[in-house]
Amino acid sequence: MLVQGRRHVGSKLAALVGGLVLVSTQFVGAPANAADPIKIGWVGPLSPPGGYAEGVLMKQAAELAADEINAKGGVLGRPIQVIFQDTRGQPEEGTAAAERLISQEHVVAITGEFHSSVFLAEMEVAHNAGIPIIAVDVWALKITAKGYPEVFRVAPNQALIAGKYGEWIAAAGFKNVAFLYEKNDGGQSARDVMLPILDKHGVKYDVVGADPSATEFTAQIERFKSHSPAYDFFMAAYSLAGAYPMMNQSHTLGFAPTAKTGIANSGGPAVDPTFWKNVGEGGKYVVTEVVGLPKNAWNDTTKAFVAAFKKKYNHSPSPQAIENYDAMLLLADAIGRAKSTDGKALIAALEKTDIVLGRGRYTFSTGHTPDWAYHQFMDAPVALIQYDKVNQDAEDAPIIWPRDIADVKYLYLKPGQ
Amino acid sequence: MRGLHIYILLAVAALALVFADRLSSYWMHVAIIAMFYGILASSWSLLAGYAGLFSLGHMAFASIGGYTSALLVQWYGIPIPVGMVAGVALCCVLGGLIGWVCLRMTGPYLAIFTLGFSEIVRIIFATEDDITAGMAGLHVERLFSTTSRLPYFYVAFALLVVSLLLMGVIVRSRWGLFLRAIREDEQAASASGVAVARFRILAFAIASGFAALAGSFYGHYIGILTPSIGGLDFMAVLVVMTVIGGMERLPTAVGGAFVVEFLLEVLRGYGQWRLPLFGIILLLTMRFARNGLLTPLWLRFVQLGEPRAVAATALRDVPQKDPAQ
Amino acid sequence: MTWDYIFVQVANGAVIGIIYALIAVGVTLIFSILKIVNFAHGDLYMLGGYCAYYFIALLGAPPLLAMLLSMATLFALAIVLERLLLTPLYSDATERKDEYGLIITFGLAFFLRNIAVIIFGPYPLKPPSFIPGVQHIGEMTVTNDRLFAGGVGIVLILALLYFMHRTIWGQALDAVSQSRESAAIVGINSRRFNSVAFGIGAALAAAAGALIAPIFSLAPDMGVLPNIHAFVIVILGGMGSVLGSIFAGILLGEAENLFTAFFPDPTRALAYTNAFGLLILMVVLIVRPQGFFGRRHLRME
Repeated sequence: MLVQGRRHVGSKLAALVGGLVLVSTQFVGAPANAADPIKIGWVGPLSPPGGYAEGVLMKQAAELAADEINAKGGVLGRPIQVIFQDTRGQPEEGTAAAERLISQEHVVAITGEFHSSVFLAEMEVAHNAGIPIIAVDVWALKITAKGYPEVFRVAPNQALIAGKYGEWIAAAGFKNVAFLYEKNDGGQSARDVMLPILDKHGVKYDVVGADPSATEFTAQIERFKSHSPAYDFFMAAYSLAGAYPMMNQSHTLGFAPTAKTGIANSGGPAVDPTFWKNVGEGGKYVVTEVVGLPKNAWNDTTKAFVAAFKKKYNHSPSPQAIENYDAMLLLADAIGRAKSTDGKALIAALEKTDIVLGRGRYTFSTGHTPDWAYHQFMDAPVALIQYDKVNQDAEDAPIIWPRDIADVKYLYLKPGQ
Repeated sequence: MRGLHIYILLAVAALALVFADRLSSYWMHVAIIAMFYGILASSWSLLAGYAGLFSLGHMAFASIGGYTSALLVQWYGIPIPVGMVAGVALCCVLGGLIGWVCLRMTGPYLAIFTLGFSEIVRIIFATEDDITAGMAGLHVERLFSTTSRLPYFYVAFALLVVSLLLMGVIVRSRWGLFLRAIREDEQAASASGVAVARFRILAFAIASGFAALAGSFYGHYIGILTPSIGGLDFMAVLVVMTVIGGMERLPTAVGGAFVVEFLLEVLRGYGQWRLPLFGIILLLTMRFARNGLLTPLWLRFVQLGEPRAVAATALRDVPQKDPAQ
Repeated sequence: MTWDYIFVQVANGAVIGIIYALIAVGVTLIFSILKIVNFAHGDLYMLGGYCAYYFIALLGAPPLLAMLLSMATLFALAIVLERLLLTPLYSDATERKDEYGLIITFGLAFFLRNIAVIIFGPYPLKPPSFIPGVQHIGEMTVTNDRLFAGGVGIVLILALLYFMHRTIWGQALDAVSQSRESAAIVGINSRRFNSVAFGIGAALAAAAGALIAPIFSLAPDMGVLPNIHAFVIVILGGMGSVLGSIFAGILLGEAENLFTAFFPDPTRALAYTNAFGLLILMVVLIVRPQGFFGRRHLRME
């Protein structure tokens, strides 16, 4: 009977799915016997709609760090095991991932994340469980301003990044800025921090928001071009793939970078591995931020990391990558000093951190002024660079801001100068 | 023993309630999210499965409900349950409105129309960030101040049960019959005196209300809302859940939500392969078990304890199409 | 506000509109024969773009040849997919075929998008230009790639029209699109044409992907927005009308460009551009559900 046949297929499939489930639970729950590794959780976007390009870079760096730590015999005589969780840029996935890491995998600490909105969900879980969590590349002020003892941040925050852009734009003498930002957590927080600073310096600006999935900017750029008085600077806050077509179109339409109008992008894509492949000539004269040490200040750790990363993955690490690398080493250092994997002990050890790693000498502030200072790496390096050659590596591009570490006399190099 | 399956379900529910506190925090979270999806899947099956209105705007109503409740609570300090009721009421009205506007549309036209609606809602929530905080995420007051997930578990459970009972009453009443008549043949239904327009609007209003209920609970549980909850991604997951379970029955839709949510969590162990693997399982299921994996199981489950002869008629009595002919 | 500005915006709208139409025409073709809305079209477009990229990067093929190779690859792949996934659409045992088509292509899209991150890597890629450089037409600046994509797009659409109306195979295809039963009576094996139609639709998506890759770059989730654009165009033009797609594509390009260019609140103009296109879609569906060029007998149900 046909009825039977069809139902048969259904139950077979049910069995198939059931079998898969069983097999995978075993995979997940497989207890590692060999000298019980210390488990560290990693969270971040590895698939759309999250910022998966940045997430993968960070994951690669975390893997590299774990390999190196284990090659040196691990911590407290135990190897380190990193458990990766894809959060897809969605807060609820962050909650689920953090819960899983803490209550199923029993990780001793968590690190990673690229989206502030997701991190805010994850840190609630870590806070409830008393597990330390190190924010790697999330910039929202609220994260440290909440004052949770479990939350540490190695990244600079928007006050340290967008603030620098604001100061630099004013110092470089730009008077009339077109500000284009991607409508997500990164773009919005950049806007919220940067605009008051421009106000303070009397710089005029117009703000335009864009859907993060947009790739067609022609009409908007023509609208910018037709603005009177003409804009002398184009500030973009873009962290996802839309950054490349945006810069391309700005360049080919003759808006920026030109002798009349400068251009900067904040958010990461301008230092990613395929930046030049995507923007070509349009990338020359672009200003962007680097959240690692300037090349002339590189220490042995930085140099070793960059070399090892290039060797393992065949492309340069981005500054986000070294943030994640350092976060792993910081945890290993704290576990070693605490001689324990207990949450409270780890937090106490992290607070006493004083170690030189790939991004300089790490300490975490314990003060609350301003409110975002708590457990923030206050000396997190942030420099604005400007490419002056096509296909230039970010580390070779001259630093233009802040002035005390600048490589060049000018504040901004105009095309044709 | 007639109705044995009801006793079994009651027993399982009682066990779940009594032993809920044994669940680890993680699995409790998974269970809560599964119940959240359960409400959405069953109400979507009311719309798409019973009434044949394949709407892709269901998650948009969840997000409208979530934001409404969150913002009302934030602005006016009203109690959270009142905010949730307000969200539900608003979405009933909006849902009815959408139902009215698309009265003449069927099949892919309706799907694309509602897709357009949901994308517009998402874009508005993302763009008006001075009100909604946009993609940075709206901070939502949580239902309980405790760190434990147990009270949320009970609330989600209660909401799911109440929703299912209400919807069950609807689909077993004459209304349910009318809805199915509309699905099978709108013109014939209209000719035999079914007020097609009224019932299509009603189906949209009711289903959207339940979506809003789920959405507002979700916001007050997770504590953060982003516009992506109303996006196509969530909608795709919801469609998958309902279809894998069996979209023509409420219990199978809920079962689908549980199975898929559980599967998605189990697949976490596979890292980057999680979503592609999920996609393959999905395609296989849809290709080979179009009427849902759980439908045959459920039919057999319902027959438990019934004499064979009765079981046979019961099968024929089931108003939906038999999964296989 | 000068006439120059208006000209520039209108001209750019036309160029991008033709490019949109090229993506949409495959959806139209597939709809008119298989009677399903292909939710995976944007992801076939993505695959086509990556295929062309790798033909250039790995085999050193010239861009135009790479585009043709990519079309052939996607044609073959689509026929396999059609055989594997879509055959239940033609079986009488399948009820509610609309829903099956929606769901199965939904699932396919989900799978393709996520596997692409693993296969192609997470970083955006960009193949070399077909013709590097830009053209200045009055105040308007437009890249050669856009002109080329628009031009080839028109040629491909005309070729499709020629194929549909002037060749035996095409006329058979057209017959199937109008009435499966009548076609069967005159001896046309509609099953074979289902495969062909899905294959051609995918090949057109691949062409669009290859042509657009140098303009917008390649990323695994690049298909999401074009897919929605394609739906808007297909509805505006009338489901199943190839000529209607060209018209509707240009209409959408103009609508979006002019909205971005003239919406009074400049802060929100760009953010609401897509919403504006969708609003037009909704209004058209309410007022004129068969679109502007729709054939009434193509209504579903």
